[in-house]
Amino acid sequence: MFAKTKNETNIKLPFLFILFSLLCLIGAMALILFKGDSIISSQFRVPAIWSAAHLFILGWALMTAMGAMYQLVPVVFLTPIWNERFGFIQFTVTAFGILYFAHSLFHNPESALLPGLITLTGILMFLLQMFMTLRQQAKPNVLTLFVGTALISLLTAILLGILMVFSMKTGFISDYYQAVFKSHILFGTAGWFTLLIFGFSYKMVPMFSLSHGYSMKPAKYVFTVYASGLAAAVLSFFTEKNSLFTIALMILAGGFAFFTWHMLQILQRRVKKKLDYSFRFALLAIPAGLAIHLGAFICSLTGSFESAIGYLAFAYLLLWVALSIMGYLFKIVPFLWWTWRYSKEISKHSVPSLKDMMNDKASIPVLSAFILGILSVTVSIAYEHLALFLSGQILTLGASIVFCYLIISVLKK
Amino acid sequence: MNPEELVLSNLKRVMDPELNINVVDLGLIYNIDFPDDGKAVITMTLTTPGCPLHDSIVSGVKYCIEDLKQFSAVEVNLVWEPAWTPARMTSEANQLLRG
Repeated sequence: MFAKTKNETNIKLPFLFILFSLLCLIGAMALILFKGDSIISSQFRVPAIWSAAHLFILGWALMTAMGAMYQLVPVVFLTPIWNERFGFIQFTVTAFGILYFAHSLFHNPESALLPGLITLTGILMFLLQMFMTLRQQAKPNVLTLFVGTALISLLTAILLGILMVFSMKTGFISDYYQAVFKSHILFGTAGWFTLLIFGFSYKMVPMFSLSHGYSMKPAKYVFTVYASGLAAAVLSFFTEKNSLFTIALMILAGGFAFFTWHMLQILQRRVKKKLDYSFRFALLAIPAGLAIHLGAFICSLTGSFESAIGYLAFAYLLLWVALSIMGYLFKIVPFLWWTWRYSKEISKHSVPSLKDMMNDKASIPVLSAFILGILSVTVSIAYEHLALFLSGQILTLGASIVFCYLIISVLKK
Repeated sequence: MNPEELVLSNLKRVMDPELNINVVDLGLIYNIDFPDDGKAVITMTLTTPGCPLHDSIVSGVKYCIEDLKQFSAVEVNLVWEPAWTPARMTSEANQLLRG
């Protein structure tokens, strides 16, 4: 079987997304720092927090995921991006929409409809791009299932978001507003981010550890269990059955535990014994994600889910989603830059190795400080402790700034 | 040095930048053919099908052979079957990775 080559994306496209996302990360972290008093008193529904949350989720995590997908989808699924020019237009629309949206949420939330629609257009353009790209794949596999379902979850989260706005303005299905809102959050977090990270982990974990000879059969069971948990959770929202919601959280935690076990099985078959430090942090996000899922289940079981959801969500987004993304960015960005700068020089001249592109050891203090900061902030929200919040968030912001500097400094190599 | 040895020796210049080990010691070169005078056909694989360095390594191999005066035409066939396994690595490469 001959393999198809020339799948690489124009380097500028993923880089635009990643560089933009770094600015959003710093902006979101700074906004959270300056609104500490609202956060520790659990007043999340204030304009600045909404702005920071959307800047973080849409500007940082979503834009990074989009940039990474523009680079990873062609190499992982062995199919070129459907239309690169469309990708650049999609970046412009989405980036403008997100900045405008965050600005409107901060200054005048009532006027956020137009920028929300622009952002929505950008995300829908991305979904079209990915749909058209993935349908060209010759042989869909279990990774297509994870990534495809993650994309469908993102689309569902958007459609539910539109339904919420429509419901607020017209009163349509107002009885189900809470169920729609909860489903919107569930699909946007567990459906989109978790399934996407699961899917790409199945490619990147064996690749960066050089694991071979492991079975991929458990992956479809991981998918089935986790997707069943998502379906049960949505059903519990619409039937308003708390016991079903607890069962759904148990299934989701079970699916996550199954994924963790499968990752361990893969890592046990690795050839590369000494793993890169930044990659270890991406791996560390897996037990963190498992602990958060188990924590959510236990809180629901003990009747404390409502009071715990704020810091559970905060820890989920930062210790599972952000730590995974940061750990992998330490690997992906040098790959991208090396490919652009040196791929044509390979074997012609002496070229640096990927290790020379980034100081991998720097990930230890930076990501450790990031984790410590997030844990401090999470505890400070639980105990409503302002001083702990401020010191924790200053640490998180500082670590984010140094992280961005390290990523950008690769471009000088 | 026969043509195959010459090609293999020259291919040791092509390094996998992630592992910092050359493609020969990694066991990525499956076969070398010389169907016509001045033509070399390399059949090779990569450690994983979704390797982001896919095109870079293949073009590195191509250039490396084109650089030899004995060959005017080079064809590189990238295959996934049979899949690469760690057993294909030389003991030196194995030692480097296993530390």
